[in-house]
Amino acid sequence: MATTIEQSEETKAKAEPELLGLLAEFDDPDALIEASKKVRDAGYRKWDTHTPFPIHGIDEAMGIKWTILPWIVAGCGLTGGTIAVGMQYWMNAVDYPFLISGKPLFSIPASIPITFELSVLLAAFGAFLGMLGLNQLPKLYNPIFKSEAFRRVTNDRFFVSMDAKDAKFSEIDTGEFLNSLNPINVEEFWSDTESPKLPRNLTLGLSLVGVVMLLLAGLVAYVRTTTSPDPRIHIIQDMDFQPSLKAQNTTNLFPDGREIRPNLKGTIPRGQFKDDNIPFYYGLKYLPEDQDVVTIALQEEKKADDKTATDKKAPAEKPAAPAAVDPVAAKLDKLPWVTEFPVPVTEKLMARGKERYRIYCSACHGLGGEGDGLVTLRAMELLQGTWVKPASYHTENVRKLPIGRLYHTITNGVRKMPAYGSQVTPEDRWAIVLYLKALQKSHQIDADTISEAEKRKLRDIK
Amino acid sequence: MASVTAEPIDTTIEVPGKRTPLVTGAHNYGTVTDAVCRLAECKTPLAWYVALGISASLMGMLFGLVGYLIITGVGVWGNRSPVFWGWPIVNFVFWVGIGHAGTLISAILFLFRQDWRTGINRAAEAMTIFAVICAGLFPGIHIGRVWLAYWLFPIPNQMAMWPNFRSPLLWDVFAVSTYATVSLLFWYMGMIPDLASLRDRAKGKIQQFAYGLFSLGWNGSSRHWHRYERAYLLLAALATPLVLSVHTIVSFDFAVSQLPGWHTTIFPPYFVAGAVFSGFAMVLTLMIPVRSICGIKDLLTDRHLENMTKVIIATGSMVGYAYAMEFFIAWYGGNRYETFAFINRAFGPYAWAYWIMVTCNVISPQLFWIKKIRTTPWMIFVVCIFVNIGMWFERFVITVTSLSRDFLPSSWGYFKPTIVDVLMLIGSFGLFMTLFLLFCKFLPMVAMAEVKSVMPRPHGKGDH
Repeated sequence: MATTIEQSEETKAKAEPELLGLLAEFDDPDALIEASKKVRDAGYRKWDTHTPFPIHGIDEAMGIKWTILPWIVAGCGLTGGTIAVGMQYWMNAVDYPFLISGKPLFSIPASIPITFELSVLLAAFGAFLGMLGLNQLPKLYNPIFKSEAFRRVTNDRFFVSMDAKDAKFSEIDTGEFLNSLNPINVEEFWSDTESPKLPRNLTLGLSLVGVVMLLLAGLVAYVRTTTSPDPRIHIIQDMDFQPSLKAQNTTNLFPDGREIRPNLKGTIPRGQFKDDNIPFYYGLKYLPEDQDVVTIALQEEKKADDKTATDKKAPAEKPAAPAAVDPVAAKLDKLPWVTEFPVPVTEKLMARGKERYRIYCSACHGLGGEGDGLVTLRAMELLQGTWVKPASYHTENVRKLPIGRLYHTITNGVRKMPAYGSQVTPEDRWAIVLYLKALQKSHQIDADTISEAEKRKLRDIK
Repeated sequence: MASVTAEPIDTTIEVPGKRTPLVTGAHNYGTVTDAVCRLAECKTPLAWYVALGISASLMGMLFGLVGYLIITGVGVWGNRSPVFWGWPIVNFVFWVGIGHAGTLISAILFLFRQDWRTGINRAAEAMTIFAVICAGLFPGIHIGRVWLAYWLFPIPNQMAMWPNFRSPLLWDVFAVSTYATVSLLFWYMGMIPDLASLRDRAKGKIQQFAYGLFSLGWNGSSRHWHRYERAYLLLAALATPLVLSVHTIVSFDFAVSQLPGWHTTIFPPYFVAGAVFSGFAMVLTLMIPVRSICGIKDLLTDRHLENMTKVIIATGSMVGYAYAMEFFIAWYGGNRYETFAFINRAFGPYAWAYWIMVTCNVISPQLFWIKKIRTTPWMIFVVCIFVNIGMWFERFVITVTSLSRDFLPSSWGYFKPTIVDVLMLIGSFGLFMTLFLLFCKFLPMVAMAEVKSVMPRPHGKGDH
């Protein structure tokens, strides 16, 4: 067993290396425990044992007190739980209230999972970092590592180290004491001649990098939490920047220059399918081959009409062109208009028709349908020349029109009359047609067929 | 020198009144260190490079596909209406489950003072970390706009908006990230003394620097060991409820919804049992070849394998019980949607998946009742492969069957994976194996300090 305490000549010559302590090496955990008891009883305070694995029983042998680590962990865990509850309450119930299905903004059961997770997370960090902190690790430089023998401390050797700072420590006495413990070997370990501190430039550089990083992080945090009218920097352009076309603009992408696209031929917009009741929706017995004939006819009619209107001073008194000579009207005449009402004709429908007629039609057409509504009268009075007088219902031409055609006129308009299809429901349009027919009938009746009582009643209306 | 009995012991024989040694062969402290460190110190065998080459290319394929997915969009997967949670979520739940055995072995068995865990806990914990990495990848890329993944976290933003803390999906974010962090801490902390061993034996400069850096200047001080053991115990105590909570919360993703087949209270315990089941199977799948190749059969004995098969019998039976109970409650509960969901699972369009699951998960672990099978490593290996397949299918069955057949027949659909789905699953195994191979090569695969502390006569006098 080597008992020499030696000191290398070079180390001494260099520049006052300091003796930091003594190291005794054992090869058996039991021997180490025995030795520990003796060191403890000898009254040393600053000393330690080093082992490759935790040796149970050495705590008492060395007189190690219980660590405060569990309290640190408990504190961290509680902090985590508090942060979690506070965060969930503040974020979901105060700062940005989430109201979902009338559930409370904050409730204990729903916040348990995250509270638990954050408590565990912080407690785990407390255990790990607390252990490192209390052990003063990481300490990458340690003069004790210079001992070649000490390398086996993580393998199969057991050491007692005596710190030179201990009040009882003396190079000779402590060395003899250690030898008396029956170790394999005792050696000294010395402080380094070079400063263990980092070079100044490196320290300075590292702090500078640290400050710059902190500033950058602060800047990012500032930018993220302040509102700004300028757009954010988008590395990936999300839906904020869609190359979509705007409905009312023009484009050179399509030959017609329109950005909003018309329906494709043959497509039916959602909710617009009407082919299951053609008489009711179109006033036609069936749709002719060319389904667009109605629309086309109408467009041509409008175009022609607009032209005459803009073609300056059209004679004010000029009556509406007779339907017979109009090519569009000729086209419309050929369509298979219904001649019977596709809805049940009832008293109620008639009443409804009267009401709707008076709302929508009478302003121009007059209460009796003679084309003498208040608007017409006023327009004629102004003599602006842009007004086309509505035809009277009681002419031969109009009287002959099939009811489907009347319905079509209400829906799509004619000449200056606008289309009422979007304002009046199909049901109401049929009601108006019904009332219109009644108006026409009222002009055809022979006065003699009416009883005296009825005549009196009619007179009273006026 | 403290040494152990010289003659090899058949650790599979239980001698009444006598403890079976946890380390066989003529080992002392030094030879244990040698056996474990040899892996990091010896010349790397060609086979390792070949294996790494294969798994790294699979990993490369995975990352390539992730890039393709990010550029193209999640439509490259088979996820379509009504099955929006297809393979990515199946893979996520599968991989999270794999991780559980590691934490269970290291934490719960530690609290129960099951010393046999020391031989396997390091590798099992490593497996946990790698499995959680694989798991975390999938929901991460499943969110669609990956570059906005930080929206999952409560970070102040210019939208002045916070995440909804009552969503199980957000609980998942917290649960899985906490689990990953705590597992990593637990694993790393357990490794510090062993890294110090490698540091003290390292010859090359790079090794000295790297192991020196990561061992944080550990010097084996008993005062340090005292706090270290306390911290380890506390971490184990924290990890134990954590491991149960993680898969419970993962199951909430399903159970808190209204979907028939998902909306059941059995999910949390059933998911946890399944996770432990699949995790142990994966530990065995990895360790059986590794212990032969790396020559650590003395530290990772047949006895270890047998103990783990017993855990597999227990958890496999729990899983089987859960399947039966789901069916029973679906009938007994009288909810016709629920009843349909389960009949549909067993006899509907996904019956093939259901019966693969039942065969692999319920029948195959029961083979371990036969002593011959649970003591023969290659047989254990085969059964464990079946268990792994079965558990993947379990997640598939749960996720896909319920989504594809919900309340309205008008919204039914049939899920078909795309080639990207399949290759990503394979690629995730590549990622897992790459990490595991690197671990085998560069880190201590067995917790040396812990093994030494359970070897006979290590502390004080007598058998402690």
